[in-house]
Amino acid sequence: MMRHITFTTWLAIAMLVAVVLLVTIIPWLPDYAPYTQDLASSLLPPFDRLDNGQLSIFGTDKLGRDILSRLALAGRVSLFIGLSAVAVSMVIGVILGLVAGYFRGWTETIIMGFADLQLSVPRVLLLIAVTAILGSTVFNLTILLGLTSWVAYGRVARALSLSLREREFVLSAITQGATPAWNIRKHLLPNVLPQMVIVGSFELGQIIVLEAALSYLGLGIQPPLPSWGLMISEGQSYLEINPWLTVIPGLALFMLVAGVQFLTRSLTTEGEEERDIAVRIV
Amino acid sequence: MASFLARRLLQSVLTLLGVLTATFFLVRLAGDPTTLLLPVEATADEVASFRTALGLDQPLLVQYMKFLAHAVEGDFGISLRQRTPALGLVLERLPATLELALTSFILGLILAFAIGLAMRLSGSARLRSAVMWIALARQAIPVFWFGLLLILLFSVTLRWLPSLGRGSVTHLILPAITLSTYELALYLRLFNSSLATEAKQDYVRTAFAKGQSRSKIVIKHMLPNALLPLVTIAGINLGLLLGGTVVTETVFSWPGVGRLIVQSVSQRDYPVIIAGVFVVCLIFMVVNLIVDLLYAYLDPRVRLA
Repeated sequence: MMRHITFTTWLAIAMLVAVVLLVTIIPWLPDYAPYTQDLASSLLPPFDRLDNGQLSIFGTDKLGRDILSRLALAGRVSLFIGLSAVAVSMVIGVILGLVAGYFRGWTETIIMGFADLQLSVPRVLLLIAVTAILGSTVFNLTILLGLTSWVAYGRVARALSLSLREREFVLSAITQGATPAWNIRKHLLPNVLPQMVIVGSFELGQIIVLEAALSYLGLGIQPPLPSWGLMISEGQSYLEINPWLTVIPGLALFMLVAGVQFLTRSLTTEGEEERDIAVRIV
Repeated sequence: MASFLARRLLQSVLTLLGVLTATFFLVRLAGDPTTLLLPVEATADEVASFRTALGLDQPLLVQYMKFLAHAVEGDFGISLRQRTPALGLVLERLPATLELALTSFILGLILAFAIGLAMRLSGSARLRSAVMWIALARQAIPVFWFGLLLILLFSVTLRWLPSLGRGSVTHLILPAITLSTYELALYLRLFNSSLATEAKQDYVRTAFAKGQSRSKIVIKHMLPNALLPLVTIAGINLGLLLGGTVVTETVFSWPGVGRLIVQSVSQRDYPVIIAGVFVVCLIFMVVNLIVDLLYAYLDPRVRLA
């Protein structure tokens, strides 16, 4: 059955297209200069003219760097970290969840005990403590966000595999001498993958916001590399003079996160919404 | 019941031990504290005596055991910057965090309950759907940006409310709105979804068929069942909120535990970071334990085996 495409679905698609155009097209424009400083034309409001008479669409920051260029580069960084971290956590979560659900027994106890352990520390706090100590490069951030986010996938994958392992196609494969690894790969994995993608799309928004929050706190992306969270934090000091420095990167962040979440929400059912709510609190 | 409590307590102790072990080794991984604490021109003798004073010359395992033994007594060492016990600094900031977290939690929960119930009583699916999209949109706004927008509107433009610090009730308004609207959105979506689940149950259809009024069905039959998931999620979330006001505290310069941890991170004040993380985890676990017990009390089907 063809789904009726609602207003909110269109809104979500529009927001996502805007963000994707921003990060893909802007870096190819001749005026793209995320690092070039121009102190003579610093803190310009949107649609003002630079010192040399050139139009600046989103204005400039305190060092006279072009906001539009930095916004585009920051978006690339955010999307890269968000998507890679989701991939890392999904791989870890799916493997651990399926192994726990397939083997049961002490394997399950250890893996799920570890999940409980990780859930007993708030994720933001864990990330703050670890990035503080290990330092926060793009690579570190991606890995740490990935390592701290596997529990949502692990729990769902385990719950699903508990019933899958009792199904006839798995039992019949076992009687014919299939190894656990083969069974997990061929019979369990394809059956949990659609659910994993749904969890992943709920998580993507969360992870992008987490990265932005860490960068806002000064513990994420380090300057001169731009990040939406870092741009918001830099703009906070100029809230009275030029509020656009804070408003614009936040708007980009909102459009990306809301776009992903609205789209996921329109494509999923009621029951999956509860999963989303559950993901949000871990 | 007793065995459940014993198992949960054991689990909590193991978790705290895990947190302490992880932080200890992570801090050691971060590098030699002497390079952080001593001036660059310190002589080799000074470095050696300093290492002896801190116990860094002993084997790692001995250091670890000593660290644990002290931690159990609540001694996390002396703050490297403030030269006072780290735990004391954390506990000093705790009331501010509790004030903000509890205000936002209660406000969010009460509003979610009232709005969710009113929507269900009205029986309008269109209204519910519209409110749910608004709630989803609020969840997509990062806390720190929402806080800054509030500051922009109410402090910078209208000049009605202070934007920084803690003192009078007016200082609490903006950070509390920032956090409680997020909580409200979360609880409202959850409450609405569990009410929707109940609405599909046979007992509800039977009650409608018998000709009972909507308000009676919603309040007497559906509400008690729909409240259970709300209690669980709200409880876990209260624990998170007590430690997770980090970002909001930073936006509004609210002198709580979260801001202390962030400041200590930028100053590399490891004893304070460890003490802060430990206290937050402890609170989080105690709250979760209470929620589990409360849940078993509310739902007789849950057996604490």
